[in-house]
Amino acid sequence: MNLYEAGDHAELRILLITGGWEVRRSFNQMGIQPGDRVRVLRRAPFGGPLEIDNKGTRVAVGKQLAEKIRVEVLP
Amino acid sequence: MKVALVGQPNSGKSTLFNAVAGYRSLTSNFAGTTVEYTHGQARVGGAVLELIDLPGLYSLTPTSPVEEVSRDYLLGGDWDVIVNVLDASQLARSLELTLELLDLESPLVVCLNMMDEAARKGMTIDTHALEIALGVPVVEAIGARGRGIIETFRTAQEVASTGTRPHAFVYAPEAESMVEGLAEKIAAAAQGQPAAIPKESGVGTEESEARSQQSGARSQESEARSQKSGHSPALDGAALSCAVGHCSSACCGHPPAREGQQGPRVTAAVAVLPVLPPAVSPPTSSPALQFQSQITNRKSQIAEFPPPRFRALQLVQSDPSHMPTGIGHRTFDPGLRTSDLGHSFVEWAQAEIAVRTGQPADAAISGARHAACLTLFERVARVARPRADWREQVDRLAMHPIWGYAVLMGVFLGFFRLIFDVGKLGEDRILNLFDALVAALAQHMNAQGALFAAAKGAVLGTAGAVAIVLPYLLPFLVGLAILEDIGYLSRVGYLMDAAMHRLGLHGTATLPILVGYGCSVPAVMATRILTTRRDRFIAAFLAVLVPCSARMTVIFALVGFYLGANYALGIYILNIMVVAVAGHVLARLWPEISPGMLMEVPAYRVPAPRVVALKTWWRLREFVLVAFPLLVVGSVVLSLVDFYGWQHGINAALSPLTALLGLPRSVGLTLIFGVLRKELSLLMLMQALGTTHVLGAMTAAQILIFTLFVTFYLPCMATLASMMRELGWRLTLAASGALLALAIVVSLAARGVLKFL
Repeated sequence: MNLYEAGDHAELRILLITGGWEVRRSFNQMGIQPGDRVRVLRRAPFGGPLEIDNKGTRVAVGKQLAEKIRVEVLP
Repeated sequence: MKVALVGQPNSGKSTLFNAVAGYRSLTSNFAGTTVEYTHGQARVGGAVLELIDLPGLYSLTPTSPVEEVSRDYLLGGDWDVIVNVLDASQLARSLELTLELLDLESPLVVCLNMMDEAARKGMTIDTHALEIALGVPVVEAIGARGRGIIETFRTAQEVASTGTRPHAFVYAPEAESMVEGLAEKIAAAAQGQPAAIPKESGVGTEESEARSQQSGARSQESEARSQKSGHSPALDGAALSCAVGHCSSACCGHPPAREGQQGPRVTAAVAVLPVLPPAVSPPTSSPALQFQSQITNRKSQIAEFPPPRFRALQLVQSDPSHMPTGIGHRTFDPGLRTSDLGHSFVEWAQAEIAVRTGQPADAAISGARHAACLTLFERVARVARPRADWREQVDRLAMHPIWGYAVLMGVFLGFFRLIFDVGKLGEDRILNLFDALVAALAQHMNAQGALFAAAKGAVLGTAGAVAIVLPYLLPFLVGLAILEDIGYLSRVGYLMDAAMHRLGLHGTATLPILVGYGCSVPAVMATRILTTRRDRFIAAFLAVLVPCSARMTVIFALVGFYLGANYALGIYILNIMVVAVAGHVLARLWPEISPGMLMEVPAYRVPAPRVVALKTWWRLREFVLVAFPLLVVGSVVLSLVDFYGWQHGINAALSPLTALLGLPRSVGLTLIFGVLRKELSLLMLMQALGTTHVLGAMTAAQILIFTLFVTFYLPCMATLASMMRELGWRLTLAASGALLALAIVVSLAARGVLKFL
């Protein structure tokens, strides 16, 4: 499951960031890496970005990028 | 003593800077607004410190030109101590930059800013534990309330004067030996020695390890000397590599960064492990002479700073595919990159790390750093339940999928209404003032002479600039700075991302386009926050396409006045449609797999009046510096054109265009004036027609077509100048051609439609 498909407000764990060097670097800059626990706070309509919470840091992630993050739902 | 303020965006560096250095810097609540670094002097404890406030950067691998400014300054090494400002409420993420800064092995002080914000989030931070773990002094601060600022700079001064330096951070064990080997090569090259190429095994063999352990103590001393004194001591490469490669581990007796506070190192794992046999054989190309000479020429820079270990890390983390992406790929060791030897050595090291760790080299390194940050965060911070907060309630509305857009509309309609009302109050008075000045000049000079014509041009040029800047641009910039500082513009970016995708851009590009409604010059400059050249070009193109406040005056004074406000509004709506189509077309013409929006959503903050004032001043200054001289000179030139009666020639030259658009031949010259300054086309139109009653001299349809053409055709000279600076002349030329073509198409279409009606 990718981040964009994940439901709102669920606790998620990032498994893998697919995509190339640029993508990894962008996420790395925002402090988002595999293993992190994140939560989708809300999403903008019409295929807009998600707002996620990662240890108190709130980041808007565009749809294309969110689809590059593989996540699992934590119980 | 030079103190460099470094921190991630929104960490409050500039607040600290302003608190001691006075009104010279700029703070913001939107990533990437300090576009150039600011100097200032401060007297702290009797000593004068020179402070350098650098634009915020998330890491030392920049993704935008704004971050590049900071990175380049830091790696230039023209400072004595770094003050790393952290947003304590974002501690986990902020530490990543701190760990990178440790790799510079230079005097460093950490300032934990916004401790109140952290407390609000329910965080308690054990500063002492953090200090021990990092090995550098950590000072708590609440910059907005002036707390901890003096302590921060005093500590910085202390650290700089004693020259205490932290250890480099130690990464994944699988990567360490490769990094170390590369550092060794860099150090050796810096000494002018032929870089020894390992034939069978990789670098960091047991032999070299033993050697480096022995020479460890010596190399520390020399290294300390070399960094401070500015010349490179005679060292052998292996020794230097030890100093930078090994001393980070606990095994060497590196002097403690601060007396009595040398604690356990933060390491992702044990530092030096038995070296694994390499999975890939290193290339055995001959040591290229070119490579050597390149390096030795830059000896003075390379032998000292940045440390070889840091360089090695940067090379290992660089993009393995070498895809040209426009920015951020300038490496520090052209020799190691471009020569047969070095290039392939870096690749080999990357491949080796990838094989050992099972992931790309950059991911292995940054993953190790990230893991260390989280471990460190868990060790020093406790997170309790956050206090109930009104801000979350605000975002429920402001970022709501439906109400969010209603709020957005309301905010911007109110915003533009306010600016227009304020602007109208001031404009006439200012213009009258300058008219009086011209009248006064006429009495004291020969009103028939060329000198008077030139002086009149200069005065009117200044008048036009002031009449745009003061009544319209100033309130616009103040309002924008307030919205930005509150944190609302980030929400706008979030809401508008989907719509901006239709224009081939992302939500982050909303800011330049919004600024474009005020003035195209700061709008073009604001495109610097975007990451790719393509995004910067499209954003700049669309930003100059939207009517700036000067074109607004033309639209309202001609169409609004003679044809009614509905027609004026119609032009705005048509403009938005044209912007949408243009963006769509440009995105098709210049397709790029763009990484998409990834933007921090900062907490709402109460804007500080001083910060708003500074930011407004900063943007205004850019306009004044670029635009004012051009406006005055251009105005003088056009006055002389008028004086010598050259306008007939110009009108004749432009007659094909005016005939095509069905406009009177005499308006040709006004179009030239419009390139100089958009609202001049209005004043000149009245002069060219010889009447202030435009409707008598032109039909309603002609007024509409003229206004449409002026709205869309070439940007003014000041904008062109800033486009040249940001995009280069090729793209500026391409954009100008496209805009001219677009204006003709739109005007002809309007002519056709009006004829049909």
